[in-house]
Amino acid sequence: MSDAPPLDRRRISRALTRVANAPVAEVLAAIGDSKVQPAFRIGITGPPGGGKSSLINALVQERLSPGTLDTLAVLAIDPSSPVSGGAILGDRIRMDAIADLPGLYLRSLSSRGARNGLCDNVVDLLTLLEVQGFDEIILETVGVGQSEVAVHEVVDTLVVIVPPDAGDSVQTMKSGILEMADIIVVTKADMPGARRMASDLSAVLNERSGRSVPVLQTQADGRGVADLDRAIDAHRNSIVENRTEETTRESRRRYHLRALADRQVEEALRANPEITEGTLKASYDRLLATLRA
Amino acid sequence: MTLEKKRILIAKPGLDGHDVGAKVIALALRDAGAEVIYTGLRRSPEQIVRIAVDEDVDMLGLSILSGSHKELAASVIERLRIEDAADIKVFVGGTIPEEDFETLRAAGVRGIYTSEMTIESVIAEIDSQLS
Ligand SMILES: Nc1nc2c(ncn2[C@@H]2O[C@H](COP(=O)(O)OP(=O)(O)OP(=O)(O)O)[C@@H](O)[C@H]2O)c(=O)[nH]1
Ligand SMILES: [Mg+2]
Repeated sequence: MSDAPPLDRRRISRALTRVANAPVAEVLAAIGDSKVQPAFRIGITGPPGGGKSSLINALVQERLSPGTLDTLAVLAIDPSSPVSGGAILGDRIRMDAIADLPGLYLRSLSSRGARNGLCDNVVDLLTLLEVQGFDEIILETVGVGQSEVAVHEVVDTLVVIVPPDAGDSVQTMKSGILEMADIIVVTKADMPGARRMASDLSAVLNERSGRSVPVLQTQADGRGVADLDRAIDAHRNSIVENRTEETTRESRRRYHLRALADRQVEEALRANPEITEGTLKASYDRLLATLRA
Repeated sequence: MTLEKKRILIAKPGLDGHDVGAKVIALALRDAGAEVIYTGLRRSPEQIVRIAVDEDVDMLGLSILSGSHKELAASVIERLRIEDAADIKVFVGGTIPEEDFETLRAAGVRGIYTSEMTIESVIAEIDSQLS
């Protein structure tokens, strides 16, 4: 760790709340086109209770160990209740060991109704953390099923976790999210079936796709996590060599625009319930007119 | 959904290991629309205040059964002040004898919720504190 100034936690967390609750127009004004140094972004996704938070707890200890990064932000998303809209945000409970690290900023987020494993303003929040100058960001998605692949669009390196009790490996392989993985981690390696799951996944995936995806095994106590740390750096270096900044910017911009448009539509529908009246065509025209206004 | 987008931290300072009451409150707040951050057991006042600041909560609930509510609440409130976060409202829940209410209020505690109160009335009080 260098002698970087301490994080201004109060200011950072207030800014996040403001952006999280602001209407689209205000968000655009707040984060606008501030030319920021993009932070390296790591996504951690996988099924509910699979061990994502426990893994982050161990991984952050590696990433923030002396002589590495100065600052790292974790955004951890938990699902909102479809009934009340409220949420219990409990990812922190597993992140005990990192809770006091001076270079870490950890924020829990509610999915606020989003169904893609993220929350619909996650890109705004990631951008804001970059404006605040974080070196690296880790994003924990909601515990997801097989098809929530949106996280791939907003991170540089996607780690997909598979617990050993996730069913048989064939079932796991159907999952679209595995095809998006840059690194696969079989968590809870102390449990029976972990080694089998890892070797099956490794054999089948690397046989078929022709690209080599590392399949690692980790435990909440930190075993195997140094390997993951190295695999993340290796992937980071490979994208620096192979993917142009332009490509990343372009695909992120597309995702961000779609997310903003979604929210704008949501805002318009909520403010103008009459939009939905009449024929579908009439509704649609009214919606477009409202958005243009 | 009056507590919509309100962020509330439920924290367990001190050494007692019972968090059923804390979980009941957390769930009731969620059902009222709030985003509830739960810390888990045995957090120090320093840790709780850091979490409250990082999470930018509107309100911080301390669930205390150990009897050291006066010291713990005062320590948390003092640290919030140091962190320039005195606007975060603190409430205390648990087994709190009535003779301590005065001291707690004087220290800046905004609400005291004992097991004799119904969950509905606790939520209603929190709601009125935050609106
Ligand atoms: N045996 C064993 N249990 C683990 C391990 N890692 C996590 N667990 C347990 O698995 C459960 C879920 O762990 P979390 O880290 O909260 O999982 P998560 O994927 O973040 O869960 P959600 O965010 O709720 O989807 C907890 O009870 C952990 O104690 C491990 O390496 N071995
Ligand atoms: Mg989690």
